[in-house]
Amino acid sequence: MTNVAVERVLVFEVGDLVCAVPAGVTREVISPVAITRLPGVSDVVDGLINIRGTLLTVIDGHRLLGRPANPDHEGAIVVLEVFDRVCGLRVGRLVDLVAVPADAVDGRDTLPGVDPGIVKAVGRHQDSPFVLLDLEELLRPVMGT
Amino acid sequence: MDHGRYAALFLSESREHIGACNQHLGLLERDPGSQEAVHALFRAMHTIKGMAAMMGYAHVTELAHRSENLLDLVRAGTVTADVALIRLLTEAVDELDRGIEEAATGHDQALDFSYVLERLDTLVGPESTGASPQAPGPASAPEPAPRRPRGDRSRPVRVTVRPGVMMPGARAALALNQASGLGEVTDVTPGAQEFQQEGFDGAFSFWIETDRADEVLEEAIRSVGDIDSVTIGDAARSQGPAAGGDAVQRAHNTIRVDLRRLDALMSHVGELVVARNRLVELAAGYAGTELEEVSGRINRLVNEVQAEVIATRMTPVWQVFDRFPRAVRDLARELGKQVSLTIEGGDIEVDRSLLDEIGDPILHLLRNAVDHGIEPGADRLQAGKPEEGRLVIRCSRERDSIVVIVEDDGRGIDRDVVLAKARETGVVDDEVEELTDALLLQVLGRSGFSTATKVTSVSGRGVGIDVVLTKIRALGGSAEIQSQVGRGTTFILRLPLTLVIFRALLARVCDERYVVPMAFVAETVEYNKATRAEVHGRDSLVLRDEVLATTDLRDIVGLDGADRSMRRPCVILEVGNRRSALLVDALIGQQEVVVEQFDPPSGMPRWVSGATILADGTPALILDAAALV
Repeated sequence: MTNVAVERVLVFEVGDLVCAVPAGVTREVISPVAITRLPGVSDVVDGLINIRGTLLTVIDGHRLLGRPANPDHEGAIVVLEVFDRVCGLRVGRLVDLVAVPADAVDGRDTLPGVDPGIVKAVGRHQDSPFVLLDLEELLRPVMGT
Repeated sequence: MDHGRYAALFLSESREHIGACNQHLGLLERDPGSQEAVHALFRAMHTIKGMAAMMGYAHVTELAHRSENLLDLVRAGTVTADVALIRLLTEAVDELDRGIEEAATGHDQALDFSYVLERLDTLVGPESTGASPQAPGPASAPEPAPRRPRGDRSRPVRVTVRPGVMMPGARAALALNQASGLGEVTDVTPGAQEFQQEGFDGAFSFWIETDRADEVLEEAIRSVGDIDSVTIGDAARSQGPAAGGDAVQRAHNTIRVDLRRLDALMSHVGELVVARNRLVELAAGYAGTELEEVSGRINRLVNEVQAEVIATRMTPVWQVFDRFPRAVRDLARELGKQVSLTIEGGDIEVDRSLLDEIGDPILHLLRNAVDHGIEPGADRLQAGKPEEGRLVIRCSRERDSIVVIVEDDGRGIDRDVVLAKARETGVVDDEVEELTDALLLQVLGRSGFSTATKVTSVSGRGVGIDVVLTKIRALGGSAEIQSQVGRGTTFILRLPLTLVIFRALLARVCDERYVVPMAFVAETVEYNKATRAEVHGRDSLVLRDEVLATTDLRDIVGLDGADRSMRRPCVILEVGNRRSALLVDALIGQQEVVVEQFDPPSGMPRWVSGATILADGTPALILDAAALV
């Protein structure tokens, strides 16, 4: 047995897109809660939520990725920490927390119909492909200072 | 030694002593013969040296040590405090100021004071070895000398380190070291090796054989700082050897607390207030039950704890303002002007976090005044004013805010010049004939607006009044300006006493709630057919004999305004002397509000000053009144 490098990723669905973020930047996942609109900012921003006494900006993954929401999805908020800032990403539903061997993350740039700019890699989970999101690229325009 | 923790302490204490140095340099400059100033400088320098040595900051220690040597010569009358010397000392203090910051962040090794040191040497003569030993680390505290017959010059000394000091053992060792420099020290009780023990309470005694007077001895011991009492001679003997310091501890009821502790405490209290608000709201549904009773009690207790914690954080403004006279003097000298600064109401207390924030904006106003406001001496004499320009900072309390007035007796702002420039750059319309104080403030507050004809090193750095005003607004405060040509300019700043918790009015538009700080609410009235008017094509509210432009909160927050009722509640906002009417759909009531930190998305609108959590747990935005009037 050789030690194969593995990457732990959180896999979720946003509309019809299966995507993932590294588990390392994920703080927690919470159920949808009451949200306060933030007027005047980018429309990918859902608003502010209160999680246990702390305010959090929530970004709508559907608008961010340009995928219509699936009405059957119950919704979840993935709390992420990227470039020293904390925000929530609202997704359709969680799929799994998986450890993928590094070689299961394809060298492929993207999947058909997905903007390659937001894709870090393509992986496979239970025979279906997912895109590992480039969070820096996606979130810097929204959360950057 | 837990270095990080002590480094922070070292820094805060050294800053205090640097502050004292600056203050006494000012005194010395006005009265070069002042023994009091020289002594105070010596003491402060000595303390900095001792603390730096204890921390192992060799370069800072060296500079403080050499400055101290020079001061010692001045004290002894060997060297005279002339202009050149005071300037050199000023430079040394500046370098030390920079040095302590660097050292505390671990960069002592990189410090290079050779330029100042060389010049100190030319006045003092190069450092002779061991003339004034550097304070050793605590580990090398002196051992008691063997007992021997005591001569006439031998006296007992009893010293107590101030209770609550972080390193009583190190202080004691330093004090002992000071004493050893003046004579032979014996019979240290408890032994110096015990100073480092856990249970050491900072009280110790020893015998010293010396020719020096009691006062000299006491001064040397006290110079290490944080010494509570020094008793020499019979009085020390009658108290017996140092024992538990109970009596001493009872007599003194202040301790030093790490600021971060207070910040943490304040943040917890903030959360407690939010939770309390929620509890009270929930319990309101259970009138007459035990739950309601407990909630009432918790409500009162939280109020008390909140008041106490805020009181603990209150700091007199002089702690920051004390550095201003020195800054003003230096700048005035650089510009060849004579300017004095008086600070009134320095004892007024504000929250520490706010105090740290307002120093720079006020300093900027002072620099502006010295550079642009105060005329050169000759011009002043010609205008029939005293040659020396006068700056005054006046602090006072006004309800829940602090008012800081920055006043100069200079040339005042030439409104014609400002108006011309404002028209030229399109900041005001051409038909504006006269700049009122309010309009003047608006114009000066525009980003980058400056009428300074020449760029000086002082205030022509692209940082203008606009930056000051923005900062004051961001702190939840307001500013006013009054200026008269030939008479001077006055800035009136109003700031909250604390940044964290304040009373606010909750307003609703459609189904959204917004928070308006009470500090800016003059009153609430009804907007209806009878009170509304159209003035210059703008929807307005007539309030008694005043016409106020209205702003609809729905428009601000981008909500549809189709079914606007003709009878709506209206909040009269007042920021300084500017007033306007804010239309809302409903007023919900008043509430204690805690400002919550969060990572906002890019492009937050200017009218949002922050966010909070309401009693029902929902987040809400806090309106920046200054952006709405």
